[in-house]
Amino acid sequence: MNPEEKAYHERFMREAINMAELALKSDETPVGCVFVKDGEIIGRGMNETNRTLNGTRHAEFVAIAGILSTHPTTVLAKTDLYVTVEPCVMCASMLRQYGIKGVYFGCWNERFGGTGGVLNIHTHKSVDKPIPVFGGIFREEAIMLLRKFYVQENEKAPEPKQKKTRELKTEILPMDLHAPKTETTT
Amino acid sequence: MSTPDLAAALEGLSLERTPWDALHGLALDVTPWDGRLVSLRTKDEVRASLETVSAYVVETPARFANAVKDAIQTAVPDLKTSEFSHLRRVVQYKYLPPHLQKSFYPPTRLPRGDEDTSPPSAPSQVSLELSSAPPSPSSIPTSPATAPLPDQEDGTVEDVSTEDLDTVRYFLLCPTRYIQHADLLDTLRRNPPFNTSTRAPRIFYVTVPGLAPTSQEQSDRWTEQYWPIAYKNTNPFGPHPSLVARNAAEIEAEAGTWLALASCAGTQISEAGFGEKIGCVVVDRTRGTPEIIAVAGDSRWRSPVGLVEEKDGCGNAMAHAVERAIAIVAKKRLRSAGKDPSLLDRSLFCDNPLTDVEQQFFEKANLPSNGYLCVDLDIYMTHEPCVMCSMAILHSRFRRCVIGKRMPLTGGMSSDTAKGNGTTEAAGLAHGIFWRPSELNWKFLAWEWKGAEGRGKERKQDGDIADTLQV
Repeated sequence: MNPEEKAYHERFMREAINMAELALKSDETPVGCVFVKDGEIIGRGMNETNRTLNGTRHAEFVAIAGILSTHPTTVLAKTDLYVTVEPCVMCASMLRQYGIKGVYFGCWNERFGGTGGVLNIHTHKSVDKPIPVFGGIFREEAIMLLRKFYVQENEKAPEPKQKKTRELKTEILPMDLHAPKTETTT
Repeated sequence: MSTPDLAAALEGLSLERTPWDALHGLALDVTPWDGRLVSLRTKDEVRASLETVSAYVVETPARFANAVKDAIQTAVPDLKTSEFSHLRRVVQYKYLPPHLQKSFYPPTRLPRGDEDTSPPSAPSQVSLELSSAPPSPSSIPTSPATAPLPDQEDGTVEDVSTEDLDTVRYFLLCPTRYIQHADLLDTLRRNPPFNTSTRAPRIFYVTVPGLAPTSQEQSDRWTEQYWPIAYKNTNPFGPHPSLVARNAAEIEAEAGTWLALASCAGTQISEAGFGEKIGCVVVDRTRGTPEIIAVAGDSRWRSPVGLVEEKDGCGNAMAHAVERAIAIVAKKRLRSAGKDPSLLDRSLFCDNPLTDVEQQFFEKANLPSNGYLCVDLDIYMTHEPCVMCSMAILHSRFRRCVIGKRMPLTGGMSSDTAKGNGTTEAAGLAHGIFWRPSELNWKFLAWEWKGAEGRGKERKQDGDIADTLQV
């Protein structure tokens, strides 16, 4: 990637991180995203699962619900997504159904990532066209946001686990520990 | 589960209320679907049932089984016998499956007078030369040669104390990937009993299941087809069969009703023009009697302002029936907690009731506020949900899920490549999202509904949905 392209993508990932920081302030899992069409942001989203008590209210859903209230579905085929954490299996499938133009993300999601972190929903056999994905933009910042969140208590989870003894680790693991796993069955 | 088993399981289960009571007083045209539950196979179960490996077998006198075992372990130090502990290690000719009896025939006879009682470590005149002389009764080895083998307790080595005239055994050495044939032959020839024989050891190739069986039936089948199997009454690749059976017994009598109700939701919403004829029902069964929490149909063709949209492209994927049902559960929790249920609402989510049947169940205050997401709830769907919705169910921590019609081209639940009902040359996507505990952070039980023969009315309705549709 040439420096010009890098600067372009980083500009929008910075906006996504701003959304993730907003989520953190709202006691939500700090994941944020922006959708970009022709160099313009047409939608923003952040995780809203805690406030809505709905485990599917991920940043991507929230942003697309905003976008499609004023645009036709077909706009997404001309739109790129910038999201701080790799889309989960659910969001990856949704994005592929809508035929998103491209997905740019920060860190991989090793618990339920859908574009390489755990499964490869973006390329797996499907009736929908594969979607291009590119990960690792501001990866360390995305991880630090998640770590800040996970040292807080999640009181809504059943039988809250004691997290007071947890410390915020600031060392970022080497790339190989956060690189995509290879799924053998795609 | 077979029908008699189920009948037995249901007997003595006194339902305070029938599924019909939960629908009581509601003007709904709901005729329960006729059929039964069939548990979906997990991704690992499918892999385990298909994966075979090639292994070496050598013919050896029974009392040299330990010597052979030591020889192979020394030659292959990193051999992990736990990897194939589902395969019997030492097998008599008569217990081999027919095709192996045929290919190993004739089993080598030990020459007369050879079966002395000297310990296997002592050099003996053992020869594996073929002998036409039948073994005499006096040739039956006595105690030192028939002492139980050390690893017998784990079931991998057969007890040789039950002696008969045939003292030759077939020893499963290891999967072929561990050692080259030439090296194996060399190893065996340098060790007893083959080091004193002029004849080459009889080494065979066998095809064996690579992974442990997940049920007694499968174990029996494999014993017939491949090699004698030791079943340990566990299922390392999915839910334990008894857990599945217990849960199926609890819900099977009602499942057809909930599927019919889901179908009713699909019919109502498609008649309104908002979506495809697809629906789902969320049921709480934690309090002994079933409680219907949410009913939702698909509304992908509803515009942001509530109009019917032209059917073009995928429509509003976020308004699939499952997504809407999950949103309705969340709203009911907010409401019972005294919070605004329309918090952060967006019209595109379509998470308000849109039809009569959805409304009737949305109004019921029957969900405690203190629950977490959809923990302990069950979900019934007319069709197998797409990958997005399958993962939404997993994110929401559902307990059990039942699907009506399989969607091999788009569904995210099933793991195998079996054909769905009435579909074309479909071969599933094999995601098996409901049970991938080593990869995903939740798992739940899942079944498909197999319709009874000759009852095609509901199934025809399902057939209205195109194979390629994301449900």
